[in-house]
Amino acid sequence: MRIDQTQRPWIAATILLFAIATGVYIPYALLTLGGPRGGTALGLLYGALGYSMMLFAGLLGARKKYPIMRVGRAQTWMRGHLWLGLLSFPFILYHSGFMWRGSLTAWLMLLFLIVWVSGIAGAVIQHLVPRYMATQVPLETIYEEIPHVRQQLRDEADQLAVSICGELEQRKMAEAATTGEPQPAVATATLAEIEVADRNRFREVYLQRVKPFLENPEAASELSTPQTAAAAFESMRRLLPKPVHAVVDDLESICEEERQLVRQRKIYTWLHGWLIVHVPLSIALLVLGAIHAIVALTY
Amino acid sequence: MAGRTRTTKKLAQRIDREYFKKVFPIPGLRRKLTYAALGVGVLWLGFHAVARNQTPYTAGPIVSAHAMFGQSCTACHVKTAIFSKSVSDQACSSCHDGPVHQASQKFAPACVDCHVEHQSVAQLKHVSEKACTDCHANLETKDGTLKVVAKEGARIGSFTDGHPEFTALRNNFKDPGTIKFNHNAHLKKETRGPNGNVLLKCADCHRPLGNNEAWPYGAPVVQAVAFEASNTTELRPATFGTLATPHSHISSRAYMGPVDYYEHCSSCHPLVFSKHVNVAVPHKKPEVVHQFVVKTLTDYIKQNPQALYENNLIFERIPERPLPAVPKDAAEWVTMRTAEAEQLLWQKTCKECHNLKLHLDAVPDIPKADVTSRWMQKGEFDHNAHAMVKCEECHAKAKESKETSDVLLPSIKSCQECHRPGTQTSAGAGCFECHQYHDWKQEKHVEGKFTIHDLLGRIVNKPDQAK
Amino acid sequence: MSDAQIQLTIDGKKVSCDPGTTIFDAARMNGIYIPTLCHQQNERPVGVCRVCVVDAGARVLPASCVRAAENNMVVSTNNEKVAKARHTLVEMLMADHPSPCARQRHSGDCELETLAARENITTLRYPRRVSPRGQDDSSLVIAVDHEACILCDRCMRGCDEIKGNFVIGRHGKGYKAGIAFDNNSPMGNSSCVSCGECMTDCPTGALTNKSTVRSTLPGEEIDVEELLNLPYFEKVSGTFLELNKHSVVKRRFRAGEVICREGEYGSTAFYILDGRAKVFVNTPMAHIKTHDSSTGWLKKLTSTLAKRSPETRRGVDVERTRSIPIDAPVDLPLDNPVAELGAGDLFGEMTCMSLYPRSATVVASTDCVMLEMLRNVLDIIQRNKTLRAQLDEKYRTRALQDHLRSVPMFAELDDSFIDVLRQRVELVRYSKGDVIVRQGEIADSFYLVRIGFVKVTEQHPGGDLVLAYLGRGGYFGEIGLLGGGRRTATVTALDHAEVVRIHAEEFQQMIDRYPNIRQSLTQVAHDRTEANEKRLETAVSMPLDSFLTQGLMEAQSLLVLDLEKCTRCDQCTRACADAHDGVTRLIREGLRYDKFLVATSCRQCRDPLCMVGCPVGSIRRRNSLEVVIEDWCIGCGLCAKNCPYGNISMHPIPGTEQGKAKVNYKATSCDLCTDLAEPSCVYACPHDAAHRVEPNEFFKWLGPDAFTEARR
Repeated sequence: MRIDQTQRPWIAATILLFAIATGVYIPYALLTLGGPRGGTALGLLYGALGYSMMLFAGLLGARKKYPIMRVGRAQTWMRGHLWLGLLSFPFILYHSGFMWRGSLTAWLMLLFLIVWVSGIAGAVIQHLVPRYMATQVPLETIYEEIPHVRQQLRDEADQLAVSICGELEQRKMAEAATTGEPQPAVATATLAEIEVADRNRFREVYLQRVKPFLENPEAASELSTPQTAAAAFESMRRLLPKPVHAVVDDLESICEEERQLVRQRKIYTWLHGWLIVHVPLSIALLVLGAIHAIVALTY
Repeated sequence: MAGRTRTTKKLAQRIDREYFKKVFPIPGLRRKLTYAALGVGVLWLGFHAVARNQTPYTAGPIVSAHAMFGQSCTACHVKTAIFSKSVSDQACSSCHDGPVHQASQKFAPACVDCHVEHQSVAQLKHVSEKACTDCHANLETKDGTLKVVAKEGARIGSFTDGHPEFTALRNNFKDPGTIKFNHNAHLKKETRGPNGNVLLKCADCHRPLGNNEAWPYGAPVVQAVAFEASNTTELRPATFGTLATPHSHISSRAYMGPVDYYEHCSSCHPLVFSKHVNVAVPHKKPEVVHQFVVKTLTDYIKQNPQALYENNLIFERIPERPLPAVPKDAAEWVTMRTAEAEQLLWQKTCKECHNLKLHLDAVPDIPKADVTSRWMQKGEFDHNAHAMVKCEECHAKAKESKETSDVLLPSIKSCQECHRPGTQTSAGAGCFECHQYHDWKQEKHVEGKFTIHDLLGRIVNKPDQAK
Repeated sequence: MSDAQIQLTIDGKKVSCDPGTTIFDAARMNGIYIPTLCHQQNERPVGVCRVCVVDAGARVLPASCVRAAENNMVVSTNNEKVAKARHTLVEMLMADHPSPCARQRHSGDCELETLAARENITTLRYPRRVSPRGQDDSSLVIAVDHEACILCDRCMRGCDEIKGNFVIGRHGKGYKAGIAFDNNSPMGNSSCVSCGECMTDCPTGALTNKSTVRSTLPGEEIDVEELLNLPYFEKVSGTFLELNKHSVVKRRFRAGEVICREGEYGSTAFYILDGRAKVFVNTPMAHIKTHDSSTGWLKKLTSTLAKRSPETRRGVDVERTRSIPIDAPVDLPLDNPVAELGAGDLFGEMTCMSLYPRSATVVASTDCVMLEMLRNVLDIIQRNKTLRAQLDEKYRTRALQDHLRSVPMFAELDDSFIDVLRQRVELVRYSKGDVIVRQGEIADSFYLVRIGFVKVTEQHPGGDLVLAYLGRGGYFGEIGLLGGGRRTATVTALDHAEVVRIHAEEFQQMIDRYPNIRQSLTQVAHDRTEANEKRLETAVSMPLDSFLTQGLMEAQSLLVLDLEKCTRCDQCTRACADAHDGVTRLIREGLRYDKFLVATSCRQCRDPLCMVGCPVGSIRRRNSLEVVIEDWCIGCGLCAKNCPYGNISMHPIPGTEQGKAKVNYKATSCDLCTDLAEPSCVYACPHDAAHRVEPNEFFKWLGPDAFTEARR
């Protein structure tokens, strides 16, 4: 979500409403008998407007559950959430007359403050992070499928390795040696030129340097950063004969992809992590706020 | 890159088509926390609900006077309708009486309109003056007419804006007191006192009620003889002891004590009547004075029979004046001397202060003193709060006042010097500095209906019960 | 002349024969062997090879196969003169012969080479001819090697006189002479009926049987005699059938047995000899639906609020399509997709010929006996006139009516008209790559596709634009019925296609009785011309030749996600799933251009490769842009394989087969949410990040450096 020119009408409306609200509040605060507080007519009006804005903002979550329901475009709802949510805080402050002396109301104000601030933080995050992600992680995939994709990358790497050196596991190799089964035929003609010793070396390199990283890319390893990985693969290329270099290149690109997926994970946590604070507290806020409204109106 | 190609189809086929139906860590955590937060909130309120404790819902701290039953809101928030538990006037009046302000007021605000709880003492007792100006800025009555006095107070914006001049100073109002007093004469530099010239100060006669200091000129030169006469009534006005209205916030030394003859006047204005006896007549009604004079002279002539024959020195001095007759006996002497004494008294001594109505064959009538004890009936004034100010700062006209009828109440303008609304450098100018909303003269007694248990909502020790 | 026998001497032997007997026959009857090449006993002798020449005492050596015996002839079959002549002749023939030729390799009985061996020809004195004569591989069953042909004309005589097909003739002169099929067409494209007569007649390896892999078709072997008894195997050479024996088997099915399943791949066709079978589409006639937890009243509430019209897949277009086109003589009606096949029905042609997946499930209703055959045998019988007439008739009576009615213009016709029309149609076969009509030609016919696929293209300055792929039940060329117009597009056969052709003249005769047909025809022509003009306009402005990687220009509508606005919240995917009963048609993954991700979602390509080969014609384009997959998809997965971008995915759907639970599949693809006002993904994106956009528009967004390499 970017806050750009298309949001101008909303921004203008928000500023206007805020100006009007403040303009009405100041004389009200000065002139009301007993001071500005929630129970006066204007106080109730501010409270009702503020709460309805909060409620609309909160209903965004429900709206997202029925995305094709024709009750307004998701974009409208999102912008409404953003700007009306921003506006609701001053409205509630005006409703309260800047006092929150009761126990429930004090908690509500605190919750509201956290929700509001986290919402603003979230808006900023969602304004900045997608662009960052797009430039920094060009190989990104769908976050929820990262484990699946990583599995496929591991399989691809294994297959590439097998195409060079036959069976990967020592046990299976030993079995093959004893039973005298022929190694699986290598596909490419050039690979037929590779000596057995080179194949073993490749297997070693793969099993000890590459595969552990693929299994657990988040642990620190020589392949964890682009620079050290480039150096590592360069050293691998020097170790291994020329025909194998193509496969090494492929492994390098697989590792690059793995690194980017790790990066993507981290960035994604930022992009969506703030919601863990924002959403639960906002639900609690709405429910407690409703209780406050009902109780205060009956009393 | 060597063998690896990247096509849309390959990328797409890596993805499981149903991935979005599973619940993933971040949304899952979100969901759990939502339930947790809701649960905590509901539990908290539920716990209090079960304990029948409504403290979470309070809008703010309540005053200590109400604190004991503050746990249960229903003490004040009585159910008035299905979904309404607002505080009604009946709820307040179960403990307090708030008499009506004016019968003709257009609408009577509810108690809670002015007395706002849950905001500490400040708002409960001390209502802001907006409560007054809401009506008095543009006053209207039920039937639409405004009495004269009400008219004056119909456009009050604040103390300095529209507040009328004090009633006593309007319309050439005259002091109704019948005691002749000339302030100017008494405040002159050379005022003759019993022991030479004195310079009288205001506080030598005017002090707040309850002040027990000795008066500088209090002890009379001539001791008044305690004289019990019949049919006398105490001259001290009864109202002096109950000057302050209940619920007002002025001190017990707000108003000046009454000016008393014996304490304040007698040392300079003795009530002598005869050269023969050095006593003052009691400062009482004329009948009593007459009886006293007769008795004193009778006693004197009994003890000094030779006085029968003494010439009246006064008359001897006047040439060509025939000498008065010589009294035959004591009775006649008394009669003659009484007449002379009474002539002195009624024509000079008493007349100095009182407006006597002389009768030919009877004692004169002295009108009631009608000394005003409190000039402002609708507003309170606390002299104690103003003790640091010189009396003549406000009562400026006193020094020059020669007429008894002068009203020496300071004009509102002298109050408005300091009592200006709003600024940091002024004393308070709220209406309730001086005025009251409730007409406390109509106050009814509140009959106590509650037990301590009712108020506290729990079992209490009854101290007087036998153990 | 008297009937007295003729007396002559052959090689010193006194021989007598009936008048009119040739020397060859007279010698043969008396046990004297004369070698021949162009003469065969069952054919009229022509005497072109001159191998059978004998010395009859004349100046010129006569060919014994044509020369009649005369009284008192003295014939020498093997004197020096004759031997020398024969030897030289064989040598010359061997000089051009690709020894060992195909026949010699396969069965060792090339007559020329046998003769050469007998003549002890080991070295060749004469050089080989310089210009090659080529091979012809077009026929499915007979391999033609012109190099080995000795122009003996046996094949010609066999095809003309024995079988009466009149396909083979001669063409050219001198060293360019050779045998030709029809007007020198490749054999497979000619009217050759693959009876195999020429092949069995050919003495050399010029015409040999194409040896197929010895398949192991399960089933009984069937005797050649039995085959020959069948009406459409008559006139097929028995030898030929013997050679192709392994390509056809007899199958017996009990009632209730499954003969083939829809969606399976196969390579055989079936011909019912006896019994009845039920053909139907087993996959549930439904959309793919997946249910998640919220069903019931809440879903009803949301669906009332979602303002969607109830399933409009049964739209205007579909109503006309009252049947599902399948690979059988009859189409399945849409509301109850079951039909019956009986004796004499041939099904599975497309699977056999072009290897498309099976289009329907066939289950035996009664005990059946069927022939299962591979392509070569099918090709033989498909060219068989008897069978063709039978297939024609079946098509006319059963399927033609439905196909005709599916054409919008003919939908309202009454039955009498259809009956008349029915008899006036012509079934025409085309091979792969054949042009059926060409853009710009005079239009004179209307075509319906009976079987196979055709491609409709339009020529543009920038290249060719594929308008549509048509399969069974498709039609084109309505304008041709008006007569006098010109074709607006080129139609090419993609595989072995058969079309039904209705000539305009036939049509004109009846059209007077149906004025509204003429009107609708004119309207169609008008609309077509307009649409073409419009298409030309947009096509010209398109840089068809600046073809970017991943073929974006092929698309007509791209779903792009602005990665700077997208918060990866998955609302688009969920909305898509919500709008399509829980199955998403969109995946948020793909290649990127600048800051845009081109999502994996149907691109409504101009050249919809996915449509080629659908066995039941369920993936198609209606009158507008979007590619839709109809309810009767049988889940064979061909479209998913064909789509180069992976936009079509297969979803499991539970079904039953003969009472047992089975998982079927259905193909799903983005349909641009035609029944909603706006594509759901675009509607539901909270951040204005998802857009459905035309490629030109998209490139405008990318900016002036759009044609540089993609970011990744």
